Amino acid sequence: MAGAGPEGGLAGRGTMEAGTVADDVLRDGRLQGGASGGWAGSAREQILERVRGALGRTSESRARALADIAAALVDRGHGPRPPAAADLVERFKRESARMSSTLDTVTSLQAVPEAVSRYLAAQGLPRSGVVWPSLAGLDWARAGLTLEAREAREGDLVGVTGCFCAMAETGTVMTCSAPESPATASLLPETHVVVVPATRIVQGMEEAWQLAREEYGMALPRAVNFISGPSRTGDIEMNIVLGAHGPYRVHIVMVRE
Amino acid sequence: MRSQAMYFKVRAGDKLADRLLQQNLAKARSKFVDARAAAVAAYDGDFEALRSAGQGIRDRVLENLDLWLETFEERARARGAEVLYARDGEEICRLVTGIAQRHGVTKAVKSKSMLSEEAGLNAALTAVGVQPVETDLGEYIQQIDDNEPPSHILAPAFHKSREQVADLFARAHGKPRKTDIPEMTREAREVLREHFLSAGMGISGGNFLIAETGSVALVTNEGNGRMVTTLPDVHVVITGIEKIVPRLEDLATLMRLLPRSGTGQDISNYVSVLTGVKGEGDRDGPSHLYVILVDNGRASLVGSEFQDMLRCIRCGACMNHCPVYQTVGGHAYGWVYPGPMGAVLTPLFTGLGNALDLPHAATLCNQCGVVCPVRIPLPELLRRLRQRQVEAGLRPRGERIGMRAWAWLARRPRLYRLATRLVVRYLNWLAEGADRIRVMGVAPEWTAERDFPAPQGRTFHELYAQRRRTGEE
Repeated sequence: MAGAGPEGGLAGRGTMEAGTVADDVLRDGRLQGGASGGWAGSAREQILERVRGALGRTSESRARALADIAAALVDRGHGPRPPAAADLVERFKRESARMSSTLDTVTSLQAVPEAVSRYLAAQGLPRSGVVWPSLAGLDWARAGLTLEAREAREGDLVGVTGCFCAMAETGTVMTCSAPESPATASLLPETHVVVVPATRIVQGMEEAWQLAREEYGMALPRAVNFISGPSRTGDIEMNIVLGAHGPYRVHIVMVRE
Repeated sequence: MRSQAMYFKVRAGDKLADRLLQQNLAKARSKFVDARAAAVAAYDGDFEALRSAGQGIRDRVLENLDLWLETFEERARARGAEVLYARDGEEICRLVTGIAQRHGVTKAVKSKSMLSEEAGLNAALTAVGVQPVETDLGEYIQQIDDNEPPSHILAPAFHKSREQVADLFARAHGKPRKTDIPEMTREAREVLREHFLSAGMGISGGNFLIAETGSVALVTNEGNGRMVTTLPDVHVVITGIEKIVPRLEDLATLMRLLPRSGTGQDISNYVSVLTGVKGEGDRDGPSHLYVILVDNGRASLVGSEFQDMLRCIRCGACMNHCPVYQTVGGHAYGWVYPGPMGAVLTPLFTGLGNALDLPHAATLCNQCGVVCPVRIPLPELLRRLRQRQVEAGLRPRGERIGMRAWAWLARRPRLYRLATRLVVRYLNWLAEGADRIRVMGVAPEWTAERDFPAPQGRTFHELYAQRRRTGEE
C-alpha cells in the first residue's frame, strides 16, 4: 500500500508548484472521513482504521466514548500532589535556589531597575540588552541601563522579562509569548533577569494552568514556557554544565509590595 | 535506521571486550541511578501514587486512542497547525523532505527526536540537499562522529569520554583542542548558535500531545528545543500516535514523574507547551507548524498483549537501571531504543525474527519494572516475547530439542529423581569437597567467568523422603 500513490507526487519534487508531494500532503492531510484519493489522506485513514479495528470500535461505543472525552476535558480534577507549601514565597525561594537561580527581593515595581542594575554590576555583566515591551514603562535609564523593548536577537547579552506567574513547588517561572512578551528574551541572552510579583506565585502547575484558563480562556498563547533556572547539559561524561544553549544564569527579582 | 538487532550477541561481545567503552560506562553508570533515587527520596508526596496516576492517564488515552487523536487533531488545526500522518519511517522522510522543499529550506536544525532516528531522516534530508544539524549536545557529538547512532535516549553520547569528544571537536571545529567540559560546551554553543539563526526549519519530537488544547509539550534542559521551535519560520514536530494526554492537569502529573525518573531532576529546565503558529503582532515564533503523527508499528500494539508498552514516556529509567545495559551500553542493542524498553520495542516494531536475542538480553530482575514511572511490566512483556518466539518456531534447533528433552524427563517422576540424583553426585564429585565448582566438566563455558555453587548434600526429593522416614515434619 505505502508507496503506491507517492511516486506520482514525487515527480513534482523540487518545484514549488501545486502538485508537489508537500502540497498533496497538505491538502489531503486535512481530509476527514476517507474521501481522499491522495496518499497522505489514506495514511490518516489507514492508521485510524487500524486503531479502531484494534479497539473494536462501533458507532455506539464511539458516541459513548466521545461523551466521556467531552466530560474528561472539562473535568478539573488532578492527580496526587505533594502537600501544599504553607508559605508560597519561602518555598519558591528555596526551590529556585535548588534549580540554580539567584534571587533578590524588592518592595515595589519601581525599585526593580535599581535591583537589576545592582545585580549586573555585582556580577560584572554588561548593562545593555533587551526588555519585554510590557516592562518598558519602568525607568531603566535612570538605573544606568540601556534596554531596548523588543524581542532578543543575536548579540543581546541581557534579557529582562516578566512572567505570567511562578510556581512554588519547583521554583519555576511561567512565561507566555505575546507581542509585549516575546519568547526569545528569556532564551537568547546569556543572562536572564525575570521579575516575579510575589502575588503571582502559585502552588504548582495545576494552579498555573487554572490561572491561564481564567486569563486566556481556551486559547493558550503560542508558547508557554516553564523555566526553572539556567539552561544546562550533562551530555559530556554526565558532568552538569550551566549554560548550554540558553542563558548561563537566571536572576529573579521578586516584588513584594 | 537499519536495525542491527539480530547481531546482539556478537555486538555485546565486542562491547564487553572494548576496554575504553567499559571504562566510560563504569564512570557514567551509577549517576542516573543515584540521581533518580535521590529525587524520589526527596519528593514530599507519594511517588507510588504518582506512578499509578501516570499509568492511569496513559491507559485512559490508549483505551480510546482513535477518538483522542481526532480530538487533538481538530484542536491543533483550529490553531493553525497542519496535522499529518505517517505510516512508517519512509513516509516520515517523504513528508519532511516535502515540507522542506515547499518552503525552500536548505538547512534544518533538530532537537532530539527518536522518531527521526527510526526513520533515518537525516540521510533523507541530505539526499535532497537539506543540511540537518543536530543541536542536542549529545546528538551533535554523535553527528560529527560520522553519524554514529545515539547509545542512550537521554544522553546520546553516554558512551564517550571527554577525551574522545575533545578529539571530535578539534577535528570538526578546526579550533585548538580543549578538554575542559564547560569550555567545550561553550564552543559547541557558539557553533550551533550560528545554525539556529540561519536555519529555515526546526524539527523536534514531542514529549506529549495535549488533546484539550491541541498543544505539543517539549521537555528539555539545554534550551535547544526552545531554539528549534522559536527561531526558524517552519517548525515540524515528529511524534508517535500514542503520545496524547487528555488535559493540561495530566501534563502536570506526568511532569512530576518524567524528570525524576529519567535524570533525577525535580523538573527539567524548560517545559514548553506550544500551540499553533505565530499570532498577530507576535515578534517571534514560526509561521508554519506541522505535526506529523507516526504509526510505524504502534497501532498494531493497540489492543494486543503488548499494549502496556504504549504507555512509555521515554524517560530512560529502565535502561539506566538495567544490569545488561549498564554492562554492554546502548549500541549492542542494534536499533534506536536500547535497554529493556528497546528489547520490547525493537522486535515489535522491526519483526520478532529480526531481534531474536533482545528479549533474552535481560535477567528479568525487574529493576526496570520497579522504576518505570508508568508501571509498564517490562519483564512480563519480555517473557511474552520469548513465548511468541517459541510459538513461532524461531528458537534454535538445539534449544528446541533440549527443551523437549527436559519436558520429557520432567514428566516422568521416577526417571527425573534418578537423573537428579546422578547429577548431584556428579557435581559433588566435580567440586572435590569444596563449596564451588571451578571448572564445569560438561559445560566449561559456564565457569569461564565465574564459579558454579556446588549442591549442598543430596537432592530435595532424597532429603524429603528421609524426613518422612524419620518422622520429622
